Amino acid sequence: MPRYELALILKAMQRPETAAALRRTVETLMERGAVVRDLENLGQRLLPYKMTKHNQRHSTGAYFLVDFYAAPSILDGLLDHLHRDVDVVRPAVLRKDERAPDSSCCGPPP
Amino acid sequence: MFRVISGRSVQAARLLAPRNAVLVEAVRGRKSRTDPVAKSKVGRIKVPPPVDPVEMLVLKERYSEYELIMRALRLEFKEEVLRKKYEEETGSQAEERARQEEEEHRALINWNDEENLRMLKARILRVQKEEEEAERKKMEAAIQREQQLEESIRLREKEILQLQEEAKNFITLENLDQRIEDALDNPKNYNFAVDKEGKVVKRTVLQ
Repeated sequence: MPRYELALILKAMQRPETAAALRRTVETLMERGAVVRDLENLGQRLLPYKMTKHNQRHSTGAYFLVDFYAAPSILDGLLDHLHRDVDVVRPAVLRKDERAPDSSCCGPPP
Repeated sequence: MFRVISGRSVQAARLLAPRNAVLVEAVRGRKSRTDPVAKSKVGRIKVPPPVDPVEMLVLKERYSEYELIMRALRLEFKEEVLRKKYEEETGSQAEERARQEEEEHRALINWNDEENLRMLKARILRVQKEEEEAERKKMEAAIQREQQLEESIRLREKEILQLQEEAKNFITLENLDQRIEDALDNPKNYNFAVDKEGKVVKRTVLQ
């Protein structure tokens, strides 16, 4: 199964509510048949710009990173669910590639 | 009245005519057989050209001698040609030549057969060598394939083992709460700074 990364920006809330939101998200993932590998917290940070979601203006957010293995067919449904979740400011699912980068430094190839 | 003739009958008449004249013959032109004769031609009697008997005799003798000689020459030549042809086919040289030709033919055929044999042997050897080569290559290819298969199996097994190891740390429903608490307690920071000497600095402050 391919490996994905969910970069999640949650609303700035108290600790129990954040925990509840995270638990909800991970349980949704597991219901859809994903295997959650790891959960990382990137801290509560100032957002790069003010974002409006669910009729609320956010200037700070809590950044979380969820690695999981999943089938590609669930991603649409998952993103839809996350967009509708009130506590989620911005979800983003990215794919993790196993290959190492070919050139040692970034930039256009010679 | 007069018509120019040209054709097969001309060749004989040409001998008597002067060299540069055009040959003409009389032909019924404007008038038919039943028309009356013209006034200017009423008492005309056609007279053949006069012949000198002495000249005639001399000419006849000369011509007969000439034709005799010519005919003799022609017959001589014809006979020579026939004789040559006869000699060619059934003369004394014919047998020898035939024999020699046959010897040559046989020698050439023999040589050809030997060449064929030689080529056959060479070809057999070559084909055998090629077959052996092909066999060897096939074996090598098979061995290569097996090796690659084994290699890939080994790699995959290694991956599986690694994944099994990592699976011990995955999140399940039981450690979900614990993991969430751990994550909230330990915020991770991936930011870092690099200076011109290449020193990496990781103590950036989280806002």
